[in-house]
Amino acid sequence: MTGTCIELKNLEFQWPGATRPLLSIPQFTVQQGERVLLRGASGSGKSTLLSLIAGIHTPKAHQLQVLGHDMGQLSQRQRDNLRANEIGYIFQQFNLLPYLSAQANVLLAEHFSTARRQRIEQSLRASKLSSHKEQARQLLLQLGLSDSDITRPAHQLSVGQQQRVAAARALFGAPALIIADEPTSALDSEHRDSFIQVLFAACQQHNTTLLFVTHDASLAHHFERSIELTELNQVSQESL
Amino acid sequence: MIRLALASLFNRKASAWLTILAIAVSTLLLLGVERVRHQTQENFANTISGTDLIVGARTGSTQLLLSSVFHIGTLNNTLSWQSYEHLQSLRGVAWHIPLALGDSYGEFPVVATTTDFFQYFQYADKQQLRFNEGAAFSHADTAVLGAEVAKRRQLGVNDQFTIAHGSGGISFSDHGAHPFVVSGVLQRTGTPVDQAVYIPLSGLGIVHGEVHGEVSITADHHDYHEPPVYTLSAVLLGLNSRPLALRMQRDINTYQDEPLSAIMPGLALTELWRTLSLFEKALFAVSILVVATGLLGMLTALLSSLRERRREMAVLRAIGAGPATIFSLLVSEALILAIIGVSLGVAALYTVLGLGSDWLLTNTGILLRATPLTGTEWSFLAAIIAAAFVLSFIPAWRAYRNALADGLTIRL
Repeated sequence: MTGTCIELKNLEFQWPGATRPLLSIPQFTVQQGERVLLRGASGSGKSTLLSLIAGIHTPKAHQLQVLGHDMGQLSQRQRDNLRANEIGYIFQQFNLLPYLSAQANVLLAEHFSTARRQRIEQSLRASKLSSHKEQARQLLLQLGLSDSDITRPAHQLSVGQQQRVAAARALFGAPALIIADEPTSALDSEHRDSFIQVLFAACQQHNTTLLFVTHDASLAHHFERSIELTELNQVSQESL
Repeated sequence: MIRLALASLFNRKASAWLTILAIAVSTLLLLGVERVRHQTQENFANTISGTDLIVGARTGSTQLLLSSVFHIGTLNNTLSWQSYEHLQSLRGVAWHIPLALGDSYGEFPVVATTTDFFQYFQYADKQQLRFNEGAAFSHADTAVLGAEVAKRRQLGVNDQFTIAHGSGGISFSDHGAHPFVVSGVLQRTGTPVDQAVYIPLSGLGIVHGEVHGEVSITADHHDYHEPPVYTLSAVLLGLNSRPLALRMQRDINTYQDEPLSAIMPGLALTELWRTLSLFEKALFAVSILVVATGLLGMLTALLSSLRERRREMAVLRAIGAGPATIFSLLVSEALILAIIGVSLGVAALYTVLGLGSDWLLTNTGILLRATPLTGTEWSFLAAIIAAAFVLSFIPAWRAYRNALADGLTIRL
């Protein structure tokens, strides 16, 4: 599966009531299956850009295409559905519902998404796994959690383990795109590298596009493509 | 959705339980008040049945009813034995029960009457009095006890006791010289009958010194029987046909030889209940307010939880939950709280009824039965849940707005 995953064309975005735009990006494209590092200092508008791509906020029409959908023309519900079905999102921290087990947190991913459920059904038929739960367990094991961690409530896990559970949830049901918003900034360097490695391996396996955002330039060597947000964003350049 | 709401509530156990408790207590209070109201009214209406007229000396209908049926208060005026004989002679009178009140046995009123009382007096749905043990009094010095009197004073057939003049427990003139022997104990009725002691009129005459035992029937006056007592408090009349009551009431009220009042018990009961309904309405209003307080507590708990749950909402948004989902999550949380609270309240009601109804009956005289929920009670429960549903729109709307504004950024 090849093609364009994310395409920005003359994207302009400003918050209601703001005097000048926060984002003004003439051109930016991410291909399907690419792993891209987007680097930017805090306050440079990366969170806003991510929430536009994830469909939380609405851009103007014809400025942003995600997986072939013009995000400016989708309704709120359609964008929520697109996110549920095709986008896995990993936060910097606190990704999980603390009162659910690691496994239940992963299973949440199919809670709001029929497409993910269907894909899991399909892969269940292909593999020998018996249930959705079992599939979630396998994914967690693949991402380096132990069997005992899987059933523990999320708040008892270490930060590193929590991030792996978050990655598993983002990947569960094979969405097309993973957006990771500073997922390693709460981890020490050792955990950081191993986290990126398991994330890469999982993305590669499912041919998942990865948009990885960080302020940490030292991670660039992991990625085939690395972009500075300031290079993209005309507004930031002017203001800096 | 429900599972998620349950898990989230379970995570906030303490505040969730407190909210549930508040709703449960307010439900208990609302149902309890309704039940006391309803069953008191029922008990009230059940106290007397089959009696068409109550006749006493000229007085207010409420006073006559209260003293003759409920043994509350005293009648200042009495009607003479001659009037009683006149009443018996009226056409259409099927039966008559004379009542002479004013004495007491401890806190229990003593009612002097005839054996007709046990034969004709009816309560509830035309139920007759029955004896638990023994039989009606046969001699001047025998007495019949209501079920409660026998239970509280541990008296049985052939036991002795003395009565006192005046009502209200402590009396300065005991009729100690004239003890009574228990001849029978009545079955429990749930009416004031349970709380009373019944003696024959002649017995009362003796203790009051109006007549003197065997000499009561003398041959001084031919064709004239000395009455057992000279005055009565009230007379209960049963008529051959009910429609006669209206005309007879007018006849009695205009009786020339003595000023008399005749009342129809059903009408008087309704009238009396109407005067009590103000109190009942106040009680009901208070319990409605308590329910409102319970629901406002739930509202507060949900609203204040929203701040700490912004993170949770952002996570849900990230995995594809729309703002509408967040909205319905909060509504279902409120519904879960309300339904559990209401169920616990109902359970508590039956626990209280099961464990406390004996205590209530002996200490307050209120008879509460653990009957199934009535239609009114079901509609109260539905109203509580509906109110919780509507109120939950407030936090749900807030969460909806937060979800739209916050998006995926987590404010810590």
